[in-house]
Amino acid sequence: MPILSRSDAEDVLYREARILDERRYRDWLEMLADDATYWIPCNGEGSDPNREISLVFDDLKRLRDRVERLESGLAHAQSPPSATRRLISNVHIDDASDNAAAIWSGFILYELRHGRERVFAGRYEHRLQLVEGQWKIRRKKVVLVNNDEVIDNLTFIV
Amino acid sequence: MKSKLKLEELVQDTRVSRKIYLENEIFMLEMERIFESNWVFLGHESELAAPGDFKTLTIGTQPAIMTRDEHGDIQVLMNRCMHRGSTVCQQERGNSPTFRCWYHGWTYNSKGELIGVPYADGYGAGFDRRKFSLLKAARVEKYRGLVFASLEADVERLTEYLGNAKYYIDLFMDLSPLGEVEARAGEHKYGYDGNWKFQQENGVDGYHPNFVHQAYFEAQGKELGRKVMGLFTGNSECDSKDLANGHSILDMTIKNRHGTRPVRNMLRGSTSQSSGAAYVASMTQRYGEARTAEILGASNVNLAIFPNLLIIGIQLRKTIPVSVTRTAVHLLPTTLKGVPDEINVARLRAHESFYGSAGGGAPDDVEMFNRCSEGLRVKGAEWLELSRGIEREHRDEEGNIVGHITDETPQRAFYRRWRALMCDAAALQPAKPLRAVPSL
Ligand code: FES
Ligand SMILES: [Fe+2]
Repeated sequence: MPILSRSDAEDVLYREARILDERRYRDWLEMLADDATYWIPCNGEGSDPNREISLVFDDLKRLRDRVERLESGLAHAQSPPSATRRLISNVHIDDASDNAAAIWSGFILYELRHGRERVFAGRYEHRLQLVEGQWKIRRKKVVLVNNDEVIDNLTFIV
Repeated sequence: MKSKLKLEELVQDTRVSRKIYLENEIFMLEMERIFESNWVFLGHESELAAPGDFKTLTIGTQPAIMTRDEHGDIQVLMNRCMHRGSTVCQQERGNSPTFRCWYHGWTYNSKGELIGVPYADGYGAGFDRRKFSLLKAARVEKYRGLVFASLEADVERLTEYLGNAKYYIDLFMDLSPLGEVEARAGEHKYGYDGNWKFQQENGVDGYHPNFVHQAYFEAQGKELGRKVMGLFTGNSECDSKDLANGHSILDMTIKNRHGTRPVRNMLRGSTSQSSGAAYVASMTQRYGEARTAEILGASNVNLAIFPNLLIIGIQLRKTIPVSVTRTAVHLLPTTLKGVPDEINVARLRAHESFYGSAGGGAPDDVEMFNRCSEGLRVKGAEWLELSRGIEREHRDEEGNIVGHITDETPQRAFYRRWRALMCDAAALQPAKPLRAVPSL
């Protein structure tokens, strides 16, 4: 009955950060459980995506479309693509039971695109599930500090 | 105004000069003659549900507050303390019966009246606080919940101003069996380094989707098992229309009526058959069969209301000029009153899939605005060409000029209005009559 440790959690988060910074989107999809959601609330903390608009509220199908677009060469807002580097810290295990866990972490994400630099900060809330011996991401919620402000372009995967 | 700019020559019947996107002097004149002298869109009534609810915004680039007073009326106050100029409200949204300026404590009620002056005995006997009310928009009027204001009193009634666009606004609102939408589901906000007119032109541009949004349409087509790019091809059956006063529309209703596209669009995703059936039944009960078919057949329009409103999909989109080369855009997604929750959830999901800073479509439009802004720095090429379709326009029974959906009819409509407002009557050469067009 594996219980997720902090270093297990960090392994998952760091691996994900590296994959996304390297824009290996297919590898990222492999990290997700079949019922995964990727949620970026808008205008605050995000309480109920069925009553309020989100910046992103994707299920796996939409994520596949998103990745396909990003790889098509026709996603103009990512042409040229964003170069990113994200630093993850302050990792807490909020909840860990058999085969499942909830992780809280803080991040800073530096982005460079078309000569323009931007910095995003926020927190990740991951829910993981052990599937066939591997920790998979069932839910990734990204609460950006600036999610109630004007954001010109958020078309890379946060 | 530098004399060499010659405003009236910069916007011609079929082309406009690069300068109108780049010159600060022109931007300042636009604020004065367009945004501060005529109707502009501010928001939706439902954003201010209760007395005391407010949101801050700008009219042109001037800070203002839209609030609901204790009688339930909407007030539009300029956000400038009448003492020495501080803003009196800094929050973007909230609820308060009064606005206190924290510089020296002057306090105003939601009608803008000065109701509190600290240590008032320091002012002489001649000091009349009634002369220090917050400035107000000269006119505030609503149409179907849409709130507009004008800083200039001498403008026509809003309903007259909207004219033939009202028919399409009605279709948008009547998607609710109660005839009302709500804009209380939050707000998408994005921006770009380019002029505000790029956004208004693009919202009713039927020439661009198959290129800018090719990747999105292809994914969607795969899901639906058919091509979805047909609406915007050279042989599409759909129209664009100049609705006068600068308003225009991409009218996809004809195409829609051929199939179940609108209902499918609206209900796309997670709506069950039973919710869909319940919705259609309540619509039919309220509007009758013919009108219901008309409403559902039109549920996919792009409507531009001059100068700063676009109604697209489920959203009210407001274009906010910040500077000549900086623009913010706010999208208010709407939900329908009186429908099963599922339908509103499907609306939100459909909106997110395309729109907002992280959407699958709109950021690609924004990318084009940035690219145009950069490209227009080339000085040798003065003009942006807007002649597409001018040889095949006709006039319909309502008096609208009708072009093909891929034509630049909406952009010409926008610039005809721009020219009328921007150029002094004296500076205008005798208005060129519109090209004579055969009637239908
Ligand atoms: S500036 Fe507002 S009270 Fe003085
Ligand atoms: Fe577009």
